[in-house]
Amino acid sequence: MNAMNSLRLPAAAAIALSAAAFLGGCVSDPEPDQMARTNLKTAPADLQLLCANAAATSTGVEDTKVLPLRSRQLDSGTYQVDLDAGGTMMSCIIDGEGNVQSVQPS
Amino acid sequence: MTDQRMHDSVSPGRRGSRRLTGKRLVAGMLAAVFGLGAIAAIAAETQVFDPKTREWVSYDRKKALKYYARNNQVPEAFRRQIVPFRTAEKPGTIIIDGNMHYLYLVQPGHKAIRYGIGVGREGFGWAGIVRVGRTAEWPTWTPPAEMVARDPSARPWANGMPGGPDNPLGARALYLYEGDRDTIYRIHGTPEPWTIGLDVSSGCIRMNNDDIVDLHSRIDVGAKVIVLMQGAALYKGV
Repeated sequence: MNAMNSLRLPAAAAIALSAAAFLGGCVSDPEPDQMARTNLKTAPADLQLLCANAAATSTGVEDTKVLPLRSRQLDSGTYQVDLDAGGTMMSCIIDGEGNVQSVQPS
Repeated sequence: MTDQRMHDSVSPGRRGSRRLTGKRLVAGMLAAVFGLGAIAAIAAETQVFDPKTREWVSYDRKKALKYYARNNQVPEAFRRQIVPFRTAEKPGTIIIDGNMHYLYLVQPGHKAIRYGIGVGREGFGWAGIVRVGRTAEWPTWTPPAEMVARDPSARPWANGMPGGPDNPLGARALYLYEGDRDTIYRIHGTPEPWTIGLDVSSGCIRMNNDDIVDLHSRIDVGAKVIVLMQGAALYKGV
């Protein structure tokens, strides 16, 4: 019995190590352009500007008067961007591919 | 010589010093001067990925200085690189993401050149849509009168510090205008390249000298500049 235990423990450790190595191998490093982040989790700049463009189109406000003020990640693939469109507050929902899902007064 | 007066936290002979005393007071005074409500500056914690340990680590002044001393360059994320950038803005437009410490120069084909930047510290961030009004090579730096009054090391330069490697404006400066009016904010180089990726300035956008020279060579006077900064204290041009 003792001999069995002494065999099982190293085997269990080996399995755990293998699993850790396997999992570690599955987690890839971020791409060079993704190697910084902040706790704010704002929308990427290009998505914020796509929302600004959509807000300018929907309101008729000149695009130089539409500015993203704040943004946040709603889930893994969607962001909300709040904008000032010539004094009117707008809210835009956009996915990570750059598709504007909605833009409306907030 | 044209007045190159501008806001920046760096003063000759005191580089790296941190002015914490009264910074909130100054921010509050700025808010009062500009008729703004409560400043909602949000202190974002920046993290960078360490490829050696494969961990995300906080990035602050102390770590930035240590990293630069060890590697003689900033972390990978803040180095110049081509990135995908889906936008309707025309090539040549400058987009600044102050929270992430990136400056994008829009290129054709949904690409951008991304540079690392240092931005305004808490209470000094701003956002808006402005333009490059003019540019200068190895610009003269003239400290604002209040800096001359409070900082003895700035006094010798009250009438202007000639351009050069120790000049706080670095190798090039792009002067940001709101219409035909100088905003007093600039995109400029720095003798402190390790500050890229940090919230350090009084509102100017700083880049390392190689990057500002590169950017300067690619842009035209009049280029549109969009500054995104969540929780900014000031809004320009909108």
